[in-house]
Amino acid sequence: MPKSPSKLADELSELPPSAIALSIRDETYFDAIRGVVDRFATKKDLNTIYISAAIPSQSIIDVLKILEIDMGRIYFVDSVSHTMMSASKKVDNVLLVESSTMLENIMLKVDYLMKKGGDKGNVILLDSINALAIHNSPKILSEFVHILINNLRAKNAYILIFSIEGFSSDEINNMMSFVCDLTLDMNEEDD
Amino acid sequence: MAEEGVSADSEVLERDRCPTGIEGLDNILNGGIPRGNTILFTGSCGTGKTTLSLEYLVHGALAGENCLFVSVTEASEKLMKNVIPYDFFDESLIKKGKLVFVDMPIIYERLGMTEMELSMEDVEALVRALGNLVDELSIKRLVIDSVTSVCYRLKTEEKIRNFILKVGKALSDRGCTSLLISEISPSAERYSLYGVEEAIADGIVLMGNLERRGDLLRTLQVVKMRGTNHSRAKYVLDLTPAGILLVPLLKGGSTGGN
Repeated sequence: MPKSPSKLADELSELPPSAIALSIRDETYFDAIRGVVDRFATKKDLNTIYISAAIPSQSIIDVLKILEIDMGRIYFVDSVSHTMMSASKKVDNVLLVESSTMLENIMLKVDYLMKKGGDKGNVILLDSINALAIHNSPKILSEFVHILINNLRAKNAYILIFSIEGFSSDEINNMMSFVCDLTLDMNEEDD
Repeated sequence: MAEEGVSADSEVLERDRCPTGIEGLDNILNGGIPRGNTILFTGSCGTGKTTLSLEYLVHGALAGENCLFVSVTEASEKLMKNVIPYDFFDESLIKKGKLVFVDMPIIYERLGMTEMELSMEDVEALVRALGNLVDELSIKRLVIDSVTSVCYRLKTEEKIRNFILKVGKALSDRGCTSLLISEISPSAERYSLYGVEEAIADGIVLMGNLERRGDLLRTLQVVKMRGTNHSRAKYVLDLTPAGILLVPLLKGGSTGGN
């Protein structure tokens, strides 16, 4: 059995604000999202900033609605919809970035949402490192993740980075091990 | 030599700061603009010069300082309509006179400057008028947007130099920390249209549009700032309702000039 959303939330709750690489597979993708944005964020009373680089935010929102997850404190930084020319509708809790290559603008939107959120704590979910690797060279991607993580660490935020098993190069895996505090495996069986 | 170094550093540390209120910029400047400095904010259109200068004044007004925006190129009423509605903006700042807008064409008119080209006497009168405004309103922060449009009516390098020098001194003597907005073309290889302004200002902040693989990023770089240590790196900025936000420009291993 892969890890359940509640088990993931319990494990995360035991950690201080950290940078965590979360290894997932297709079949554990939605459980991982649920574990982070619903169980963990609720338990720790955190705002969620969801960086969607893999699929458009609207698709994630549709799934979260089906799962009956409260959307009140979930905000999106969406770097996919503009590229797909599917961003005609303005949605309140979604900020669009023109492309996944505008990594600085992703950082700026996260910064803005954190400022807007005031004193509330935050969990930032980057979905996923593999999707960003399609559009960016390993060098600029490493620089981005390094700066993002250090910036968020200084603000006492949790950051979770999805890494899809079997789709990461050695270079990306090495970089993730270097910049993240630890790696959790969503595919690992529960005790 | 070592003593000189120590004294120079001490001087840098001792200068009183005028925090811009823009967190990223204040970090770049080690706390803000040295008070009394006259800074050239230069860049091509759409780079955020006017927005940044307005935010600088709003933060000053919120901190209790009297602030003046001298609009040369467009009517201040129109300008206000196009400004981002800041979350922290309080309209009462204008009503209370903490944030004042003056249109330069009205000053020209009151001084009887009807000719397109201003004389050396006109320059003196203009500087005097600005100084009087600063005195009367006890202004601590001032923006002229844009100084390029004023220089356009001065025509000669001598008059431009005279104007910038005198206006800078008049404002600095009054403890006023000023931003002079300067317009340049995107391909310009200098920091001001006439090449004079940049040599005289206490600081130069270059704002630009950087194209990278088809993406257009707004950038900011502090090229020079007398009286403080500062970063000279390039930053990417975003204009948001929470104010201007800045992050470092990613290099990605690039060694390119841009």
